[in-house]
Amino acid sequence: MDTTTPVATAPVPWMLSEASPVTASGHAPFSSRFAGIGVKIPEPIVTSVDLVRGARHHPHIDLERLTGVHERHVAGPGEDSLSLATGAAREALDRAGIQAADLDMLISCSITRYRDGLNMRMEPPLSLDIKTAIGASRATSFDISNACAGMLTGVFILNDFIRRGVVRRGMVVSGEYISALGRNAAREVRTILSSQLASLTLGDAGAAAVLERAPAGAAGIGITSFTTLAEHSRLCLAYPSKSAPGAVMYTKARTLQEMALEDTPQLLREVLRLSGMRLDEVDYVIPHQTSARAITKGERILSRELGGSPKHMVINIQEYGNTASTTHFLALHRYLEEGRFKPGDKVVLMALASGLEFGIVTFTVDDLVEKYGHGH
Amino acid sequence: MGTVIEAVATAVAAERPFAPTSLELTDRAARECLRRAQREPAELDLLLNTGIYHDRNLGEPALAALVQEDIGANPGHPPVGGHGTFSFDVLNGVAGVITAAFIADGFMQSGAAHSGIVVAGDADPQPGKSEGFGYRRSGGAMLLGWREGLAGFTQFSLETFPEFEGLFHSAVGWSEPDGHGLHLGHAHHNFLAVERLDGFLERCVECATIAVERFEAKTGVDVSATDLLIASHDDAAFGDLLADRVGISRHNVVHLPEHLHSLHTALPMAAVEEAVRDGSLAAARHILFVCAGAGITVGIAAYENQSEVAA
Repeated sequence: MDTTTPVATAPVPWMLSEASPVTASGHAPFSSRFAGIGVKIPEPIVTSVDLVRGARHHPHIDLERLTGVHERHVAGPGEDSLSLATGAAREALDRAGIQAADLDMLISCSITRYRDGLNMRMEPPLSLDIKTAIGASRATSFDISNACAGMLTGVFILNDFIRRGVVRRGMVVSGEYISALGRNAAREVRTILSSQLASLTLGDAGAAAVLERAPAGAAGIGITSFTTLAEHSRLCLAYPSKSAPGAVMYTKARTLQEMALEDTPQLLREVLRLSGMRLDEVDYVIPHQTSARAITKGERILSRELGGSPKHMVINIQEYGNTASTTHFLALHRYLEEGRFKPGDKVVLMALASGLEFGIVTFTVDDLVEKYGHGH
Repeated sequence: MGTVIEAVATAVAAERPFAPTSLELTDRAARECLRRAQREPAELDLLLNTGIYHDRNLGEPALAALVQEDIGANPGHPPVGGHGTFSFDVLNGVAGVITAAFIADGFMQSGAAHSGIVVAGDADPQPGKSEGFGYRRSGGAMLLGWREGLAGFTQFSLETFPEFEGLFHSAVGWSEPDGHGLHLGHAHHNFLAVERLDGFLERCVECATIAVERFEAKTGVDVSATDLLIASHDDAAFGDLLADRVGISRHNVVHLPEHLHSLHTALPMAAVEEAVRDGSLAAARHILFVCAGAGITVGIAAYENQSEVAA
């Protein structure tokens, strides 16, 4: 890999951002685009009614009305973070029409790194197991961890390597076997004020995206922009459980949501300014899926603060719940399969995650839709 | 233009009751690193944590966000036209620091960032309950900046040798009372187990030798011209053994004092700090970083030293 390509500096705004053009000569050497997106959704389903009904303290909580989550998929026997990640990776490769050996880089972004049951892998990184499983022998690999902003952070990193010409193709992948937090929370939750309530929304899934080099200026990924508002870093903390396999997560959900809603308009305004777009010119905003109510409320605030609304605010939490770092790509995959996107559509992927991590990836839909049988 | 190391710092503590946590040591190292460089936390664009073993095995959020808040790197609401910091964790064992530098260097080359700090830190998450954890409580920090007219990091490489994955393994798992869990003897709780098999050092030396040879062939870096080898591995013998294999004099290897041998992810920071202290870094022009650990993963970076590093 050539790692010496010099690129001139540009002013750094609040958000750490990459946007075309970035170089003194006016353009990054390349653009990058999504070449394929894959998911692995386990078959077993647990409804919110069943989850709450099975809770130890029989809390009187209408979880579905409160969060919008009707059901979530949960890993079945023999499934774990690794199997979900590799399943998604294989579909992404297939959709992209490439072999694993074509990948130059592989970034694993899971919060949960469970293998062989609920054993959380620390070393070696899970990315090594994924690349071995799919045969990506040439790929430079490593793990990152950035809560539910993990996959979009991975896109930010990989996009940077591709744009500079250091790598041609890479994969961002995550397998989230996170439903054990919901099971553990169900032992403790007594009321809607429980700090473990958010864990009841979690579901399992794997997702993967293949990114590849495109000519400078081509449709594809536009802006990638991230920041961490760390004064809120302790609003959501997860640790291994002391009483059961897997982890527990304690969230000051109301405060977290308030902070997110307060800061999002200003940060999104900065990204829209960088991209030269108005909010009402955006075809699809895909936010992190935490709660249908929170997303709807956020949409109202964005409209009020920024003027106008995106054409579509995507909510798919009903069937999947909050699948942690994979939510954006589950939504993208679903919309690609259903043929909802058309070339030229402007999509904004918006991460809000523990940290408090705030990130945005914008892209313009191109012939990616053809990989899903929906060329227009 | 290049990404240069502006400063390094480490903080270590003995294993004792009420010892500082890995987060506290990481915070301490980061603050000291910034102080040595006469930089303010608010100047940081990036904060990348590479530490693996967190207090109580914290899984979320990224530890980097906690460090960012603790050291006061733009933690608050975004002012209009203000400056922010982006934090996340990079997990790649002993090669984590090189991996994070690789990522940070990329963002600096593309102009997204002008400065960043890579931090590391490890501590036994549950002293008395963990198995096989032999690392010293420590934190480390390396401040990186983008400098006109200087080379700094010029080449990076990350190679893996999964055929030796089984030689080092660590996980947090549940142990059932009937002994069907991760290990016997730890009923009813999650605990960390670190397992390192015989032959790990020797295999790492072999893999690192192969990786260095490939690195030389691919990048054109003349390894024999290395003035200073900063080699990081769980076993302190790794540096000399690797130097012998790749044609570098043992005199050009940074040797850590014994009390720092059992550091883990912060090893590269400790080595740079030691090289500044003994003067070998200032005298060196061509520096080679080689970090080898679980995977087996080998991280390599070539560094052209043209500026002073504060330590």
